[in-house]
Amino acid sequence: MHIPDNFLSTPVWASLDAVSIPAVALLARRAGRELDDTRIPLLGVMGAFVFAAQMINFPVGIGTSGHLVGGALLACMLGPAPAALVMTAIIAIQAFVFQDGGVLALGANVFNMAIAGVLAGYLPIHFWGRTKRRKQAIFAGAFLSVMASASLALGELLISGIAMPRPVILLSLALFAMSALIEGAITIAVVEAIEKLNPGLVQKTQPSSGRAIVALSVAAVLLGGVGFLMASSAPDGIQQIGVQLGLAAKTGFHAPLADYAVGYFESSWLRRASAGLAGLLLIYGVCLGAGRWIGRQRSA
Amino acid sequence: MHHVHLDNWSRGASPLHARDPRAKILALLVFLIVLATTPSNAALTLGIDATLLIAGILIAGLPLGNLLLRAMVVLPFSLTFGVISWLAGDRLRALALVEKSYLSAAAVLLIVGTTSLPALLSGLERMGAPRVLVLVAQFIYRYLFVISEQAQHMRLAAASRQGDPRFHRKGRFRAAAGALAVLFARSYYRADGIHRAMLARAFTGRFQLLNSLRFRFSDGVFLLAAAAFLILVRVQ
Repeated sequence: MHIPDNFLSTPVWASLDAVSIPAVALLARRAGRELDDTRIPLLGVMGAFVFAAQMINFPVGIGTSGHLVGGALLACMLGPAPAALVMTAIIAIQAFVFQDGGVLALGANVFNMAIAGVLAGYLPIHFWGRTKRRKQAIFAGAFLSVMASASLALGELLISGIAMPRPVILLSLALFAMSALIEGAITIAVVEAIEKLNPGLVQKTQPSSGRAIVALSVAAVLLGGVGFLMASSAPDGIQQIGVQLGLAAKTGFHAPLADYAVGYFESSWLRRASAGLAGLLLIYGVCLGAGRWIGRQRSA
Repeated sequence: MHHVHLDNWSRGASPLHARDPRAKILALLVFLIVLATTPSNAALTLGIDATLLIAGILIAGLPLGNLLLRAMVVLPFSLTFGVISWLAGDRLRALALVEKSYLSAAAVLLIVGTTSLPALLSGLERMGAPRVLVLVAQFIYRYLFVISEQAQHMRLAAASRQGDPRFHRKGRFRAAAGALAVLFARSYYRADGIHRAMLARAFTGRFQLLNSLRFRFSDGVFLLAAAAFLILVRVQ
């Protein structure tokens, strides 16, 4: 579910951009450390594979068909950080080249599908991937992956104040659960087929991970759960939360810059926009600086 | 296919094509942010933004009708939500949702249509995007169509063998999984070959652009003019 631009309210997309930029930087650094340059073509080709996999239809019922989403499959075959990186690149290409998802909403989409989706899908595989419950773990991972990203997207839309009647929300949650089950079935079938085809392929790509990734994965599952609960509770209540969160985000976000020179602008929009821009620039600068510093530390 | 048009468009020669990708990305961001923060009832601002966009498309020499048609890919999503909002009573917001998401998609198309993807990505890298991410995106874009074509062949082959609708559903499900497994394995081995071929051609760990990026004075003027105009229109 790629959210286009102008669906999310400004506090929502801006804060998700602010979260996703450092998160992607962290994941890229970790992926770069786990893999040498020889594996980068592999990541790219796997990304192209996930794109192409959408063309192969799986019959799932009378007249309907599903296709692979791929977050859990990538996490299982490449490991969590590289998988999240590949998904980020896919989502960015979809936004720029195919207009599938917005550019300002890129942070939100990357957060939902590449970060939360992949890490939530990785969690069961991390704990049970090497036991005899491997099959169930992969199924659970694929289910969680789709469910977490869909619930998060729905929750973000609701916080942004997109009016949705209760039956519509419940129906979409049911549809998401259906497609999550389908994703589980497809992922297991594909992993088994790959194992049958060439057992070495799966062993070669055993996931490795650090404690930070596991903690982030738990957080991703919890966040997905929060999104689900929010979406399934009464919409009136959600709008209330949204208003409060929006206000909290606004006051919290602008407080350090509130009584600076920004005040001399006449328009309140310009003031808010420049304060927000200053905040984003700050985060951008910190990320850039940290990247340079780490690069220098490593080369020294 | 979609990408072929974009690739052809981005090879044009117009003042907009000649701008540095960084200037274009920043101008796009200003446009999108101004649009996103425009209130739903500011019809004049939306109209001026749309006019500016159309002027940009004409200056760039891109086919106007074709581009506007392509931007409609957002409509299935935004119309669905628009109708829901409309039924829920929020008519102004429903209209603005559809209009603004359409304008945003058209703006992204204008920028991607005047910038080749390698230039766009190396612009993003110069702006601080992680090198690994940019490399992976470049590889995905390069092999996307190669592997999609392979998937299409496999789909065609499967369809020509499974024409019988009485074919057992479970069998077809397993056949699709098998096809994906084969596609996965082929992609995996292809990556090995690609890497060796790249080493043989002296790949240094970074894609090279034919003409290196330079942020010229004119790029700065373009960016400042675009940003100032958009913000002034918004503030009015």
